Amino acid sequence: MPDTDSLLEEDVALDQPWNVVVYDDPVNLMDYVTWVFMKVLSLPKPVAEKRMMEVHEQGRSVVWNGGREEAELHTQQLQAHQLQAKMEKPGE
Amino acid sequence: MKAAPTLDGRIRIDLEDAMDLVVLRAIIADAHARDDDLASRLSAGTDPDLAEDWDDYVLPELRVSFNSQLETIVGALAEVTPGDTLFIGREDAEAWFGGLNQARLALEDRYGLAGADEDAQDGEMKSAGIRSHFYQMLQGMLLHFLMSGGNP
Repeated sequence: MPDTDSLLEEDVALDQPWNVVVYDDPVNLMDYVTWVFMKVLSLPKPVAEKRMMEVHEQGRSVVWNGGREEAELHTQQLQAHQLQAKMEKPGE
Repeated sequence: MKAAPTLDGRIRIDLEDAMDLVVLRAIIADAHARDDDLASRLSAGTDPDLAEDWDDYVLPELRVSFNSQLETIVGALAEVTPGDTLFIGREDAEAWFGGLNQARLALEDRYGLAGADEDAQDGEMKSAGIRSHFYQMLQGMLLHFLMSGGNP
């Protein structure tokens, strides 16, 4: 039953938690990135500022983790605010 | 050109001469002056499991959103002439901010301003740097005075 196996593997892969990762860029203002994290991810200001500084100092930050649909929504919203946001499987 | 926040919660921009209007219209020209489209660039590197859906559903929405930001600015500038005063209200602040960001992203992609030695810049690059700095100053005003003092 190779077809069934591969379908199951795909389902499991899609159901696993996803990371929403934001990457640093030379254009977006630090205060703006904090503001976007508060608005899109509903992060309290101190947490949003911490994530923003991780992006700035480490080049990237995992700003959210969870199910695929919500991760897609957050990533789309972050990209709509012109941030370099990607969905990644944990461990990548 | 003079730009300042007003007591009634808007940004007021006084257009003192024709050059001021040229400078503001450069926002649109700069935002359009890129080899790729911004939505595609932001979505590049999407996980292969998601890429097809992303291209079909998310990219078109991003393009509509980014175009809408620029249309807001085009519409505002279409109604003013030198000597007029332009007001940006809270309802348009995010669109203006986004349009200015598009222009700055395009200038950065084209000229690599962030890592450039200012002394080594030629006239075109210097001009791009001055515009980018001006756009950034306007963004700062929009963010701090209209977009809820940094709180969404």
